Amino acid sequence: MTLLDARDLRYRHSAGAPEAVAGISLRLARGEVVGVIGPNAAGKSTLARLCCGLLKPQQGSVSLQGEPLSRLSRRERARRVAFLPQHPPHDLSFTAHEVALMGRAPHLGLWSLEGPRDLDRARAALQEVDALELGDRPISQLSGGERQRVFLARAFAQEAALLVLDEPTAALDLAHQVLLVNALRRRAREGGGALLVLHDLALAGAACDRLALLDRGRVVAEGTAEKVLRPAVLSPVYGTDVEVVPNPATGQPLVAPRIVR
Amino acid sequence: MKRSAAARAALAVAILVPVVALAALVGLSTGAGALSLRDALQGREPDATVLFRLRVPRVLLAAEVGAALSVAGVALQALLRNPLADPFVFGLSGGAAIGTAVVTVASGSAIGAAAASAASFAGVLPTQLAAVAGAMAAALFVFTLGRARGHLDPARALLVGVVFNSFASALVLSVEAVLRPDQLQAVSLWLAGTLGYEAMPLLAGAGLALIVPALVLLALAGRLNLLALGDEGAAALGVDVGRTRLLAFFAASAAVGIAVAFTGLVGFVGLIVPHAVRLLTGPDHRVVLPASALGGAAFLVLADALARVLFRGLGAEPPVGAVTAIVGAPLFVLLMRSRQ
Repeated sequence: MTLLDARDLRYRHSAGAPEAVAGISLRLARGEVVGVIGPNAAGKSTLARLCCGLLKPQQGSVSLQGEPLSRLSRRERARRVAFLPQHPPHDLSFTAHEVALMGRAPHLGLWSLEGPRDLDRARAALQEVDALELGDRPISQLSGGERQRVFLARAFAQEAALLVLDEPTAALDLAHQVLLVNALRRRAREGGGALLVLHDLALAGAACDRLALLDRGRVVAEGTAEKVLRPAVLSPVYGTDVEVVPNPATGQPLVAPRIVR
Repeated sequence: MKRSAAARAALAVAILVPVVALAALVGLSTGAGALSLRDALQGREPDATVLFRLRVPRVLLAAEVGAALSVAGVALQALLRNPLADPFVFGLSGGAAIGTAVVTVASGSAIGAAAASAASFAGVLPTQLAAVAGAMAAALFVFTLGRARGHLDPARALLVGVVFNSFASALVLSVEAVLRPDQLQAVSLWLAGTLGYEAMPLLAGAGLALIVPALVLLALAGRLNLLALGDEGAAALGVDVGRTRLLAFFAASAAVGIAVAFTGLVGFVGLIVPHAVRLLTGPDHRVVLPASALGGAAFLVLADALARVLFRGLGAEPPVGAVTAIVGAPLFVLLMRSRQ
């Protein structure tokens, strides 16, 4: 089953600006983890927002689980797709546990009161990203990486089949990057899916089933890591020479910039 | 924090209801003259009349206004994502002051006086109506100007509100130049915030009318929490941000309007009560809103009791708005420091 079907999306942020997304189509099936990579201002974050309905495409359409976004209520949409922004807010006096519970909002009734099941979900989500011990601490007192894990827990607690995560690993240390990727792969095996915006190309290659390389609002290469992560593909798009070598242990492509000193 | 919001709200209410009861007891037993509560309850005069005709309505009014201002303060602080927002931040105080001043001047003219007596006959005072109308008009004006690209921009709205309030006070100062001394005193008492003695049916009506905005805000409380995540964060969780803001804004303005109609501009209640309550309950609006309603009621009842005894020896009584500011300002500084 298709979790996400985006067709010929076009979006510009204001009338005079160039198109941030200039005709992108993207599908994501259950069980898939798809990475969106590309240089700055390639349209990655805009694409992510279009896919979860935070921006309305000026052309094209997005369907979640076969249902067009335009026909879904906001709450129904939030039960199908969870979004993690690149910069979650940092000045909150809410605790980590309260923020994880916020992920349950699309499932709550008129008075927004959570039940035992919602409390359990929030706790399980915190556990999944190794943030349970942060539970009672206010967000404003957490480090960048801790905060990132709490907001990941919020997205997990939402129980949406599709996760759209914008730079989810940027603030995380190596161990927590691996933890997150494993959690995403496990969710994919259980029938979910994830669309990840990533800058770390080696991690993208290791974590994703498929990569879409964006450049100036268009998909310029799409496919497996072996197909996309090649110097001949990457160097012209990023405008700098890159080296790609296989990881000695796994054979996955490792991408490194060529910096001559 | 492992309890559900409902459990925490119930706990806060259970703690604060006795506090309100205690405040009411203090309010009922303080005043210009000595009063025996036992005699009054046994129907002995003049104590019974003083209690039931004067003090009970006064305490009820203080409780209603305190609750209304505090609940509105919570909502506006959430809307503007600014803990320093108070109920008058949207230009409400300035608008209400213009309304009052203009009606006071107009009632000097023949047509104005006729209109005033007609409105008084219907049981409402024209200055009160003008205050509410002025407050609502100003709020709408600031809410509209505070928008950028179709969204309420908290920083912009705050600035517009501050500027509008200064503009309004300049207007009122100019109008005051043409007022008679007695009119001038009425206007300045109103601007300072004064509790009077209202009839019980009117108080009951106001109490019932306040339940509507309170329930609307309580239903929005979960969504007000999500607004702290930013507009996009809230929208990603299924919140209609624009509609939530508009509903909460109108509910808060209605509560402030009802309060202002009775008492004029009682400052600091809507600022300080939510702050104090959050120290006890944390930031969850589902708990903060009901707790602030009770805390605000207790606070204004106590402030009013203090106002009544402060200059008792001189046979005078400062406006309650002055007392809330005198008590509230240092308390606010203390709260701010204890937060760090």
